Amino acid sequence: MRGLRFHIAVFSAKCTRLALRVLGRGATTLPGKVAVKVDPKILKKLCEGRNCVTITGTNGKTTTTHMITDIFRNCGYTVVTNVSGANLLSGVTTSMIFGLKDMKKADKEGRKVICVLETDEAAYGKIACQIMPKVSVVTNLFRDQLDRFGELAHTRDLIAKGLDTCEADILLNSDDSLVSELYKGREGRTSFYGLSEESMHYNNITYPSRSGMLPASSDAEYCTECKVKYTYTARSFGHLGAFACEKCGKVRQKPRFYVEYDLAKNPSDEGYELTLCDGKEPSDVRSKRVKLPIPGMHNFYNSICAVSACIRMGEKIGDTENLSFDRCASALEHVEAAFGRMEKIKIGDKKICVLLVKNPVGLDRALSFVAGASDADGIYMLLNSNIADGKDVSWIWDVDFESKSFPEKVYVSGDRYGDMMLRIMYSGVDRDRIIAKPMEECAELLDQAISDSATGKCLYILPNYTSMLALRSILVKRYHLKDFWK
Amino acid sequence: MDNTAKELRICHMYPDLLNLYGDRGNVLSLIRRSGLRGISVKLVPVSIGDDFDEKDFDIVFLGGGQDAEQNVIRKDFVEVKGPKVKDAIEHGMVFLCICGGYQMLGHYYQEHDGTRIECLGAIDIYTVGEDVRYIQDTVYEADFLRAEGVSDSAVLYGFENHSGRTYLGPSVKPMAKVIEGAGNNGKDGYEGAIYKNVYGTYSHGSFLPKNPRMTDHLLSIALKRRYGEDYELPPLGTEGEDFARAALLRYKEKGNTAP
Repeated sequence: MRGLRFHIAVFSAKCTRLALRVLGRGATTLPGKVAVKVDPKILKKLCEGRNCVTITGTNGKTTTTHMITDIFRNCGYTVVTNVSGANLLSGVTTSMIFGLKDMKKADKEGRKVICVLETDEAAYGKIACQIMPKVSVVTNLFRDQLDRFGELAHTRDLIAKGLDTCEADILLNSDDSLVSELYKGREGRTSFYGLSEESMHYNNITYPSRSGMLPASSDAEYCTECKVKYTYTARSFGHLGAFACEKCGKVRQKPRFYVEYDLAKNPSDEGYELTLCDGKEPSDVRSKRVKLPIPGMHNFYNSICAVSACIRMGEKIGDTENLSFDRCASALEHVEAAFGRMEKIKIGDKKICVLLVKNPVGLDRALSFVAGASDADGIYMLLNSNIADGKDVSWIWDVDFESKSFPEKVYVSGDRYGDMMLRIMYSGVDRDRIIAKPMEECAELLDQAISDSATGKCLYILPNYTSMLALRSILVKRYHLKDFWK
Repeated sequence: MDNTAKELRICHMYPDLLNLYGDRGNVLSLIRRSGLRGISVKLVPVSIGDDFDEKDFDIVFLGGGQDAEQNVIRKDFVEVKGPKVKDAIEHGMVFLCICGGYQMLGHYYQEHDGTRIECLGAIDIYTVGEDVRYIQDTVYEADFLRAEGVSDSAVLYGFENHSGRTYLGPSVKPMAKVIEGAGNNGKDGYEGAIYKNVYGTYSHGSFLPKNPRMTDHLLSIALKRRYGEDYELPPLGTEGEDFARAALLRYKEKGNTAP
């Protein structure tokens, strides 16, 4: 029984949202916070009897959550999901409370409901036991705001704690040595997704990678148990790849779900095609060629992850018909990018594309993407250092800017515009090519960058978290884009 | 002026393990400010199991890492390479050591629970771990960098992120005076340590990029050691770096812009 306390909590949350909306503010976390104060067990009660899938890890959570949501919807499900970034107890609770109406309606009409919940990697350990997910996805572990979360091994242990407090089927990235070792002791309920080893670059990156250049910093070069350096037969990016420890024999697990792809073609291009495979029966591998819905090589991982999460859910709840391999893979093609995640927005006869970057690997992937984008005419980077961003911005030096080519026009802003300008300059871009302005002038600089863009070309904007929030409101105010905190 | 081609050989110690908080930026600085002066640069990674021979290098860079990674290298650094590193230091080799690398040169690191981890003992410092972590922008003043006619020549900008408190013995000097931030231990008002040509500091990330005069100081002593006291580092502007320093100063005065 949910009890009186539950209903008061829900009511309080609704009042809070109403008040916030009157004030013209988004209400993505505060209502849940209020509700948890009234009924500390509210999330457990909200999730009871529901089929939930959680997505955690340092990178790709939001995009993967978004893809999973779209796939379920395309397969006929009613989906309740949380807004990007609202992925702590308060945010998840808020989303579940305001999803109650849709869930009840679906129940009445006999439609099935799935809750797709992005969960912060540090919070997962505490809230998994309340959500009790049927499927739990761990995408990857890259260094991310170490001043907030501490070290990667610690984050992994928090996730392990969460996995042990629920009975979820676990879906892990096979190519991430830190993530994949979470299968130990949980073998029976774990499956893997990854990239096909044959498709990956075969490169045991040597040091220095180019004359006078440094390779990017890697997060997990050594076996966590034996402290022996992994050997790689293939790599995709960062520390992801086909790793092996020669001492303890730990190797990358062969993934059941994998992607075959061709890097002779440019994954920054729209319409890039890859092949999704399900090797559940090794003798009868199912495969389907699909258009990558959101460009960029990191989206190979997000795509196969999303498709396999839906398939695993189908198997778990006995709906392998609606959630068959074919249907899930086809549904992926209809996924559209979200704001800040490669969505291209038309502004007059020009375009802008916003790529949120929060940590080294995200920035590495974004720069690599822009370097490969044929319509890139300018790049605009914004770096803030509020608490939500991490106060320490030194991580920009861990990213390999040196190997990336920059568009002709480079604009820089954010509270740390000096740091970012210097970083770009030190990668070899002429000082004269970089226009750097403080955060108070970021709107005017955006105007300038858009007006400098050639017709039909795209300005790529790479903000970090709070500078993206600022940018979003500038776009709403100055360019009349609709806001999306619904 | 001696115009023959000059070369700088950088030893990057454990780049695959000690690579946290933007340490890479310091190596990029050494490379950049040598390269722009026409000095050719040889960058050599020296990791676990690799031989370290001081004859091969002009400057050694040792950064910081996560605890797990520092445990991986400790044995190799202290026991295997240790004696050679100590010799190199005594012979005047130029070292720049940041955070974990700085701590590891000292006598020991005492953990929260009192356990002592033996370190190299190459310089007269020791470190005690505490609960409160210092995470903030820092400003220091280093007298050895003071130059006539340049108003902020002695000012060093940094960012610290450490829970260890380092204490200096009598045979080392502090590197700089703390203007803002905690520095070595939050108590005595000093930051870093200098012993012979070893410079240790908690200032990680883009320490050298933001402090080009510090970069030049290290390059100068390293090249003088190699090519003789008469060697003069060719002049090189600091316009871009000064712009970044001014931006930083502006940020410090205004604080963060709330989203």
